[in-house]
Amino acid sequence: MSQEPGLNAGPNLAPAERLERTVLAAMSRPSLRYLGALGLCGLLVLMLFAIWGVIIWQGMGIAGINHPVSWGVFITNFVFWVGIAHSGTLISAVLYLFRARFRTSFNRAAEAMTLIALSVAGLFPLIHLGRVWIFYYLLPYPSERLIWPNFRSPLVWDVFAVTTYMLVSAAFFYIGLLPDLAILRRRLQGWRSRVYGWLSLGWSGSLDEWRHYNRVYLFLAAFATPLVASVHSIVSWDFAVSIVPGWHTTIFAPYFVAGAILSGSAMVFTLTIPMRRILGLEAYIQVDHFEALAKILLFTSLIVSYSYICETALAWYHGNLFEMEQFRYRSFGDYWFLYWIMILCNSLLPLTLWRKSWRRNLRWLFILSLLVNVGMWLERFVIIVNSLAREYSPYAWGTYQVSLAELGITLGSFGLFFAMFLLFCKLLPVLSMTEIKERL
Amino acid sequence: MERRNFLRLLGFFGSALLPGCRKEGTHGTLISQLVPPGDGVMPGEAQWRASTCNECPAHCGLLVRLREGRPVKLEGHPDHPLSRGGLCLRGQAGLERRYHPRRVLAPRRKVDGVWRDLTWEQAWDLLADALHQDRQAGRRSVYLAGRTTGSLSGLIAETCRAVGLERLPESELYAHANLRAAHDLLFGRAELPQWQLTSADLLLTLGADVLETFVQPVAFAGALSEARQNPEFAWWHAEPHLSLSGANADRHLGLRPGSEARLLRFLLAGLVARSPWRERLPEDLRGLAVSPDLPGTAAATGLEAQRIEELAEALRQAERPLVLAGGSATAQVGGLETAVLAGLLQRLLDPEGARLSFARGQNYAALGTLNDLRGLAEALAAREIGVILVARCNPVYNSPDAFAFGAALAGAGLRVALVDMEDETSAAADLLLPLAHGLETWGDAEPVAGVLSLFQPLAEPFGEARGEGDMLLELWRRLRPDAPPAARSYRDYLLAAWEQRLVDQQLGDLARQGWVELPASAESAPALRASETAAVLGTAQGPAATATPGLLLTPSLRHFDGRGRPLALLSEIPEPLTTISWGQWLALSEADARNWRLKEQDVAELSLGGLRLALPVKIQPGLAAGVLTVSREALAGLPFAADEHTGELLAWRDIGQVRRVGRERLPILAGSTSQHGRGIIPDPVHQDAHPVATRSELYPEHDHAHYSWALVIDLDRCTGCSACVAACYIENNVPVVGRRDHLKGREMSWLRIEPYYDSGRPQFLPMLCQHCHYAPCEPVCPVYAAYHNPEGLNVQVYQRCVGTRYCSNNCPYKVRRFNWWEHRREAPLDQMLNPDLVARDRGVMEKCTFCIQRIRVARDRAKDKGRLIADGEVVPACAQSCPARAISFGNLRDPEARVSRLIGDLDPHRVFAGLGTEPSVYYLGCRRPA
Repeated sequence: MSQEPGLNAGPNLAPAERLERTVLAAMSRPSLRYLGALGLCGLLVLMLFAIWGVIIWQGMGIAGINHPVSWGVFITNFVFWVGIAHSGTLISAVLYLFRARFRTSFNRAAEAMTLIALSVAGLFPLIHLGRVWIFYYLLPYPSERLIWPNFRSPLVWDVFAVTTYMLVSAAFFYIGLLPDLAILRRRLQGWRSRVYGWLSLGWSGSLDEWRHYNRVYLFLAAFATPLVASVHSIVSWDFAVSIVPGWHTTIFAPYFVAGAILSGSAMVFTLTIPMRRILGLEAYIQVDHFEALAKILLFTSLIVSYSYICETALAWYHGNLFEMEQFRYRSFGDYWFLYWIMILCNSLLPLTLWRKSWRRNLRWLFILSLLVNVGMWLERFVIIVNSLAREYSPYAWGTYQVSLAELGITLGSFGLFFAMFLLFCKLLPVLSMTEIKERL
Repeated sequence: MERRNFLRLLGFFGSALLPGCRKEGTHGTLISQLVPPGDGVMPGEAQWRASTCNECPAHCGLLVRLREGRPVKLEGHPDHPLSRGGLCLRGQAGLERRYHPRRVLAPRRKVDGVWRDLTWEQAWDLLADALHQDRQAGRRSVYLAGRTTGSLSGLIAETCRAVGLERLPESELYAHANLRAAHDLLFGRAELPQWQLTSADLLLTLGADVLETFVQPVAFAGALSEARQNPEFAWWHAEPHLSLSGANADRHLGLRPGSEARLLRFLLAGLVARSPWRERLPEDLRGLAVSPDLPGTAAATGLEAQRIEELAEALRQAERPLVLAGGSATAQVGGLETAVLAGLLQRLLDPEGARLSFARGQNYAALGTLNDLRGLAEALAAREIGVILVARCNPVYNSPDAFAFGAALAGAGLRVALVDMEDETSAAADLLLPLAHGLETWGDAEPVAGVLSLFQPLAEPFGEARGEGDMLLELWRRLRPDAPPAARSYRDYLLAAWEQRLVDQQLGDLARQGWVELPASAESAPALRASETAAVLGTAQGPAATATPGLLLTPSLRHFDGRGRPLALLSEIPEPLTTISWGQWLALSEADARNWRLKEQDVAELSLGGLRLALPVKIQPGLAAGVLTVSREALAGLPFAADEHTGELLAWRDIGQVRRVGRERLPILAGSTSQHGRGIIPDPVHQDAHPVATRSELYPEHDHAHYSWALVIDLDRCTGCSACVAACYIENNVPVVGRRDHLKGREMSWLRIEPYYDSGRPQFLPMLCQHCHYAPCEPVCPVYAAYHNPEGLNVQVYQRCVGTRYCSNNCPYKVRRFNWWEHRREAPLDQMLNPDLVARDRGVMEKCTFCIQRIRVARDRAKDKGRLIADGEVVPACAQSCPARAISFGNLRDPEARVSRLIGDLDPHRVFAGLGTEPSVYYLGCRRPA
């Protein structure tokens, strides 16, 4: 192994060297606590696949969904994880274009989070399918029956939107990683050096390579930026294109995008605050950077609050019986409790960030990020379940109770997310070393 | 070898080899395409045979659909003189009895509390020995059957005579004892008459649940539907509670229990105060017609004086009124008086007996009463009875608890039950003789005097089951070798009986159409026996002082007197007033619930004398305070008394305290029974119906070259009886999923009856897939599983469906059903499946198809003849079964089609038309219940 004694020690180390050592330290032999955490997450993942197996074997009846409410926690999770996947691109691509320097502290972790969250999100449309074994009917493959997917269906748009986002994010992530992989090739020995060398595609760091690299990176950033808006807009159209009261509204696209960025930024806090502490990255991820990100969180929270007011006011103002009943039901019906928790977490608590001292209080930011994620998960639940529970036909009104299986799968998805993030921390550099070097 | 030759040889030898393979035990499960299994059986083609329904005493006419020699559906015979094409949900579910997994398939004997199968030989020996011993010991042996009509009745009598069995009066819980006693008093006929509803312009029913179970509900529903086409017709219904009949009447009088006689006395007095009714009243009865006392009557009945006046006025104005008391009105203390008064009133209003005649009586004369059962129970307890044979009835369950019939049975020497499925009585028996289903044997029924209806063996009996007639003949042969019966089989017996009774042409009719109508006796209306009537009315106590709160026992639309309990389909279909499917409940009014601090689905405990009864509560809108109702099947026993004098069941009893003892969830399928101002049923209340959306369509409009199918439902005719729901379940193999999934909201019904209580009493709306022309389900399906076919149908391609359930979310009518599980049917119920339909796997969405399989059959037939499908050629299962003929189906492209004319003439309503979905289901009419 390449472990060097007194890694970070010595004041006389060059800053670049210190940075490389710090980042490499994170990739050293895993501690017991790390393995324990990974094992726990692995168990949750096992549970997820076991329950999914039962669902495939026995039927969707294992879940708690029923006739009016035939989308439940699975779709909630899908939208939640797609939302989490959002701020990755926002931080890396949009802030790159705006030349916001604090992005370098977060971009690698945020991009990894994007890819991981997207992989988790991608599971849910599959889990929720009644017959997952023919999921490929949704893909435009050259079928012998000459049937294409129905391009009028937002679910098909979803397939394209999420796939595009996944491919572009992966390309962006990988290109950004290339110079760092070359550093790993240089600093590690044995088979690891060979593997990272192979992955770095023979990066030599020549001026010519850097010139091309910067071009591609800029181009990809520009290419990825509209995706920030498009992906979650299209996910929101899964709902907005329907005629379900509470879903059928034009503000859904910006509303969902803002919500996605809100939850994504919150998740960045959730991941990076402990990561910074555990891996000793205080020198590189600074409180100033957190404060800048907190401002984004506050801003998107305000947009989300505005959307809440807007959709309720619209329902009240246009006097449509179905819409009015839907919004009355959300606030005072069977799930009123969840609605008000959502308001508290997404609209009220983030207002504390108006104060500079709270913005710089990492402990509060961490707690707040957890609460915002709870709130954002509930937002999707409230929108999906309430709207279906109170549709047009009063005879068909019903309620929905989350089953243990759905709970297990939800926990399992968190397990999968954290397991993959832990693996990322161990296998890839958690900071963009080359970019931070520019800043040093 | 060339590739092609190799494949040829492979194909040839492969196919030659395969027929040689046979898995053990698959014999007979496949129908050969070359050798039909029976005479006239064509694989893949349905055959229709006439039969008779055996599920309740009404005996409606059936057409049985046979596929590959198996009955797969029962439908009402369109020409049958009684039922005229309709068939209630109980009748339809009767098919399930044949395929029921718990059918008794062989003779059984109970040895040390365990059932052991016997051979028939052993069973006969056992029975013959027991009969012989008891005769030696001087004990009586008896034969107790449920209501029996037709030739079987004669055979039972002859066999009993020949073998020395005593034939007891027949046993039915709903035997209408008071009504028959009243007709005996009034006219000397202890019978039920035939009521002619169709010609009436005013119908006053007291307590008779004509749409649920009363005598001939299917015939009544059809007749009422016809009568209602007369705009002058009005139906008044008086009862203490709210029944389905009460919900459908034009005017509902919720009177105090037991005050029916008081109301009738007032009406009678008001009538005879004037000409011409005064003159029609015989001398002896004049003294009884005291001057009308409106305030007193209003106070006693709890009705508004004005409404009573209106009713009296309507009776006077009507040209052809019909007054009919029965059900809850006569099943009470003083019920006889009510029945007599109703009969007398009808006689005054209709002196010729045009609407109440005995020429076609209902053949209830052989029926006993609960008093006969009481006598039997006493004789049993006194060990006077040797062998008791019980056929087609359940006296242990359907006799008052006070008789202790079950315990008394232990006093018999040998208890023999002729049953198809185990019930309370057979559980107390020693010997079970498996009874064949009505579709498996020869037979006839004569539900109404002079109308013979045929049973014929359309399928082999399951197991060792035999018909009752053949069992009786066998018993006779064995016990009297010296004087054996003339007939070798029941079929021979029937033929002899028919030849004796019918002329050739009638016999031909019976064989061809499944029923024959003999000329009615030209009997004039029997004379009124004035002195007897006067004696009874003179001594009557007047309205009984009925204490409230009380509990009313009602016969069940779904399970009748409890006999439908084993049939899962009947529990799966929600009761239309409450929308409760699986479960038992106690219905009470909102006022009582408040009073006793009960909420819906709380378990309430009643004390009934010494007995305590705990049932979950359903708050029933429209129910009067102090009136609690419970359906027959909800009770394990019968904690009600019988009238000492007439043997009628007293279905009303006072209750002690009521308290809350717990909570139990009920599968109430309706999320809400209010329309919330959404204009689902067109109604003046909702006149601000949503404006029809203007459309700008990006995609090309649908083009329907030949057909555009549409369904028209006349809500004025619909009674909510749910026969269509049963028909839909059976026709379309809709899975029966049970209580657990119903509690989760996962019922699979393609068609449901939605009750809306916005105007006090419920209005019913049958809701099914609306086959929208701009169906919200279609564009959202990612795989084209939901698509619009060229005939205007919104079809679901099960094989394409991946199960995203988006279509269901986007359906404003919520009529799509997802297969949450793989629904398997327990053998042999799987043999009941309609083979015309594709099986639906788990994870697939399904819904109403407008019975596309029937359209396909008609299209094939039309194509063979080179024409289009004619109007009326396709009748979906729901439309076919409807006793009230509320549903019409047809092609809107044909301007002459019935649906086109109905839609053109009557400006029908479409549900949620404001959404722009352009449904193909149209709703006509709207009755405003008062």
